[in-house]
Amino acid sequence: MVRFKNRYVLCEVVSEDPRCRQCIEDRTLGLAVRDAIARVHGDYGLACCSISFTVKYLNAYTGTVLLRCRKDSYRLLCSALPFVRYLESRAQRYPCFLNTLHVGGTIRTCQKFLIQYNRTQLLRLLQNHTNEEERQCIQKSLLSCSLTEEQSQSGDEEEDDGTE
Amino acid sequence: NILTVCFSVGYSAVALNHVIDFKEKKQEIIKPISPSELFPSLPIVQGTSKRIKVLTRLTLVVSDPSHCNLLRSTSANIRLYDIIAVFPKTEKLFHIACTTLDVDLVCINVTEKLPFYFRRPPVNMAIDRGIYFELLYTPAIKDSTMRRYTISNAISLMQICKGKNIVISSAAERPLELRGPYDVANLGLLFGLSEGEAKAAVSTNCRATVLHGETRKSACGVVYTVKKPRKVEEEETAVPACKKAKTQA
Repeated sequence: MVRFKNRYVLCEVVSEDPRCRQCIEDRTLGLAVRDAIARVHGDYGLACCSISFTVKYLNAYTGTVLLRCRKDSYRLLCSALPFVRYLESRAQRYPCFLNTLHVGGTIRTCQKFLIQYNRTQLLRLLQNHTNEEERQCIQKSLLSCSLTEEQSQSGDEEEDDGTE
Repeated sequence: NILTVCFSVGYSAVALNHVIDFKEKKQEIIKPISPSELFPSLPIVQGTSKRIKVLTRLTLVVSDPSHCNLLRSTSANIRLYDIIAVFPKTEKLFHIACTTLDVDLVCINVTEKLPFYFRRPPVNMAIDRGIYFELLYTPAIKDSTMRRYTISNAISLMQICKGKNIVISSAAERPLELRGPYDVANLGLLFGLSEGEAKAAVSTNCRATVLHGETRKSACGVVYTVKKPRKVEEEETAVPACKKAKTQA
């Protein structure tokens, strides 16, 4: 079957400045990544990677980014991601770096990985915080994480029960 | 704070480096900072229940054969470091470091064009002895000319050693110069490693270096006895010294 195969790269934006999270937008991030590819791989690399390059998903609160590219050029993209040093928006530069979490073939696999990853992060937060209220908050969100399908795609629901 | 970023990104062991440069006036080797002074309790590795290891490491920048005598001296402070690395500046010193010096890592210069070419005999001897070659990636992230030197030096090393015994490490001075382990393995692809070798460069080779350091610390003098095999079930016969040290460590 002839079909265009894509690779979805899941990254996390890590930065010291808390204001950086607010200015994360898909356009600024796309520009920063393209700029890094151009610096590392030149015109050829930029042209190869930008065939089907978009930022598919962005979560400003946790700094999670999902990028899409063609299967043939995902190596160029992945090897250029460590070279992203700052995000620039509205004439402000925020130094940061991207931490690659997972590379998947479909959005669904990346979503499953992200749920597991968020669960481990919540567990880590649980260990560090000793305030009782926050702990209960975190425990409640841990128990309720699940993967539910959209109604339009198919009717069945999958539940990932977070019982510890 | 660099260490906290390390831990949050997912590393399971970190080594703190102390560089000794002989160009300046004679420096003494000071005792390494004990990790318990920095952290009252080490956080746990993400995903497992073990604590993160913080190790200490010493790098000697040698540009003269007389500097290597420091390694043979019985100064007690050297023994306290977990990993010892040497940074040779000339071809002769590179040869000496690969063949006779008692170190765990040989650092490869990434900030300028190498004054010497690698040759196969010392590199092969280093691989046999279990010495690893180290590449730094932080200069590549910072500056474009450094990037070119890094890649050209790394690829020339790969062509000689075929990708074995490589460790990629960062010389980060700020928390934002650090990169996660998956990203560092992807950088290895740029240096000419295959994908499995690049992942090994971040994980298994580093672990092997730490073990090499441990055996170097513990196995100073080993006496092994050879029993004449009378019965078939005697297994502990004629185990060579190096293997015995590794199983004890």
